[in-house]
Amino acid sequence: MLKVHSRCDLSCDHCYVYQHADQTWRGRPARMPPATVQAAARRIAEHAREHGLPIVHVVLHGGEPLLLGAAGLREVLAELRTAITPWTRLDLRMQTNGVLLDEELCRLFVEYDVRVGVSFDGDRAANDRHRVFAHGGSSHDQVRRALALLRRPEHRASYAGILCTIDVRNDPDRVYEALLAESPPRVDLLLPHATWDHPPEHPGPARTPYADWLGRIHRRWVDDGRPMSIRMFEALRPGGGGTEAFGLAPADVLVIEADGSWEQVDSLKTAYHGAADTGFDVFDQSVDEVARHPGVAVRQDGVDGLCATCRACPVVDRCGGGLYAHRWRTGSGFDNPSVYCADLLSLIDTVDAYPPPSPLASGERSATSPVDELLDDLATGHGSASTLALLAATQLSITRALLAAGRDRSGATAAWDLLVHLDQTAPEAVRAVLAHPFVRPGLVHRLDSSAPPGLGVAVDPLPALAIAAALLAGVPATLQVPVRADAITLPSLGRLVLPGLGESAEVSVRPGEFQVRGGSVEQTVLLDPLALPSTGWLPTRDVSVPGGRLLLEDGDPYRDCYGQPVESRLEVPAARALGRTLAEAWRVVHRDVPAHAAALDGGLRAVVPLAPDPARPLRSATARHAFGAVAVTPHPDPETMAVLLVHEWQHAKLGAVLDLYDLVEPAHGSRIRVPWRPDPRPPEGVLQGVYAHLAVTQVWQSRAATDQPDASAHAAHFLGWTRDGVDALLASRSLTAAGERFVGQLRHALEETRVGSR
Amino acid sequence: MDHAPARSSRPYLDDLTRSLHTPLERIAVEHADLIEAVRRRVVTNDSVPSGIVAVAAFNSSI
Ligand code: SF4
Ligand code: SF4
Repeated sequence: MLKVHSRCDLSCDHCYVYQHADQTWRGRPARMPPATVQAAARRIAEHAREHGLPIVHVVLHGGEPLLLGAAGLREVLAELRTAITPWTRLDLRMQTNGVLLDEELCRLFVEYDVRVGVSFDGDRAANDRHRVFAHGGSSHDQVRRALALLRRPEHRASYAGILCTIDVRNDPDRVYEALLAESPPRVDLLLPHATWDHPPEHPGPARTPYADWLGRIHRRWVDDGRPMSIRMFEALRPGGGGTEAFGLAPADVLVIEADGSWEQVDSLKTAYHGAADTGFDVFDQSVDEVARHPGVAVRQDGVDGLCATCRACPVVDRCGGGLYAHRWRTGSGFDNPSVYCADLLSLIDTVDAYPPPSPLASGERSATSPVDELLDDLATGHGSASTLALLAATQLSITRALLAAGRDRSGATAAWDLLVHLDQTAPEAVRAVLAHPFVRPGLVHRLDSSAPPGLGVAVDPLPALAIAAALLAGVPATLQVPVRADAITLPSLGRLVLPGLGESAEVSVRPGEFQVRGGSVEQTVLLDPLALPSTGWLPTRDVSVPGGRLLLEDGDPYRDCYGQPVESRLEVPAARALGRTLAEAWRVVHRDVPAHAAALDGGLRAVVPLAPDPARPLRSATARHAFGAVAVTPHPDPETMAVLLVHEWQHAKLGAVLDLYDLVEPAHGSRIRVPWRPDPRPPEGVLQGVYAHLAVTQVWQSRAATDQPDASAHAAHFLGWTRDGVDALLASRSLTAAGERFVGQLRHALEETRVGSR
Repeated sequence: MDHAPARSSRPYLDDLTRSLHTPLERIAVEHADLIEAVRRRVVTNDSVPSGIVAVAAFNSSI
């Protein structure tokens, strides 16, 4: 947090900078001098470089940062971008009272990709209770004008949201409505700063007025379908992860004052004069040195840094003892619960209790949340069609988030604009391309600066994605598309290999065809499957299965994510043979285990042939980043292939679940002995193992019922493995509560699996 | 305002399903927390405990 200007044009009486115990601002320069900005930017860049940080957040703060004026702010922003961007992704933010915001400043913020939060306390009466000019005049109109500017479509990308300091004397309904009217992407509700020395105001008889007041807003918000993000309520959900004000995540905020001194979080100023001081400054000390300061270090300790009361508190993982500053009491220092403790406890209850759980479904079992339903359904061993649809939707959503993250990194490009346009005009086409299993590995590779260089330089995947979507949508478009190893891959459609294409080629989409121009090459590719294949075009082959169209993916470079060699493009007879085997195997799955077949229908979209290895002829694999695909050695026997498909599809489903939930306790370093391998395995591996073996048990059990030779022996063998694995997992204490529930239900599913003797 | 992204280590089901209905163009602004959670969970894998199974090739990893 960078205090670029230490004075303010408002005179809010709840301001911790000027109105609270700490008065250090009096000795500081009004504006941060350029040399200090430069030194600060270098310190941040140095820290990002030394620790290989993927991202750094810098918030311009004050006082009032807009007092720097457009020219002054431009200098600061340019300095930060120049010094830091070469080393990490720089997320620039600003917190302002909005009074001085104008169009020129908005344009500047859009240009430098700064997201602006505005302090605004709600309706006129609420806002003007505290947020006034020194002469007592209202700031309400100026701030609303600023919010209207940020809402304009051309500035909206710079609108971060609203910071609202609450006052229980205000009308919560009116405050809520006033906030909602500004359509902020996010609202941050702030409890007034207070300590045990200066407790919060309790204007009426209520014991927990703050929880009651916030509870009212929470109810309105839930009833309205959560129309905006309200940080506090989201952070207080179980596993909500917290914010600076809640939760146990380590404090990772440092403040640089206008004179270059390092300070701890700002809100400490409410405690006592000099509370946030470290005695360090950006000229002489690095971030690492400040981080070792005892006041900062204690806040890295999670629950161990809290007082005894909080450590024993049942909701400590969500409350985290509240805001650090709110714990202050002369004498015991910060070793206390929050002065808002009673309110926090009651608020967590309120958030949990509303919306109320729906009426009992069956009379004996209480209704469960969608989360539990999803896990419970998959714990049957397979998962229904609707659960699979939900899992697939979450995977698609993750891919879209990665796409947006990529846009964040590389800025708007023609490819991005085309995707955005198609997303609005032909959403099905974009969806079909993004659901291709190997889109995510490409995006992850592109975003992950620490990715192993195995795949070579990460090319920008967006142009090829946009072209593929335009082709599917039949929308004419032209883009420059990067070429890798003489090839352009259009995800899910195929691959064009043309030596001499150069580094990048112009691709134009026209009805039924596309044209490529690059290097010394010019080529038109017809997409009509009945036409003669155009030179260099290798369309992705497919086979029709009960679930739809199953791709034989032997071209996409990102299919190489299985930790073992993948086969290069199959010759026509081999592809036909594999297609026949897969279609037949799919029918076998329907015959043996219809419940598993339904889950397969709901999500398996591509099969990747693995390179043959005479030593291990029968192999299969799943990759966490490639939901919807499995890799197999092209074994000719459909009965065998069916088992591989069922086995791998279990891993794919569980992998998608693990994107959403922690089933295994993080940082649990234990190893578990399992019957299927000689070496002890990590808990997640055991979980994956039992989930797959359970399904395979069910396949053999079903075959045993039709008297297939050896089937009951196989069934008993896999049942034994699964049982022992489940028991070892439960005994290992390495599962989270959700994990215990999941594995407990697997055990139950297992008990219902009856196969002769063990 | 607390400008830091939510520190949640995982993307929420609710947010994921809601963001599917947000135009691509607005996801970055309206679902900044989700993007950050996906980045942490899926790209940098910050939350991955030691000893977790690598993403690929479960057959050799189980
Ligand atoms: S606008 Fe912010 S910095 Fe200025 S007086 Fe009000 S609370 Fe303090
Ligand atoms: S402040 Fe109160 S509610 Fe919060 S963790 Fe401490 S004891 Fe629990």
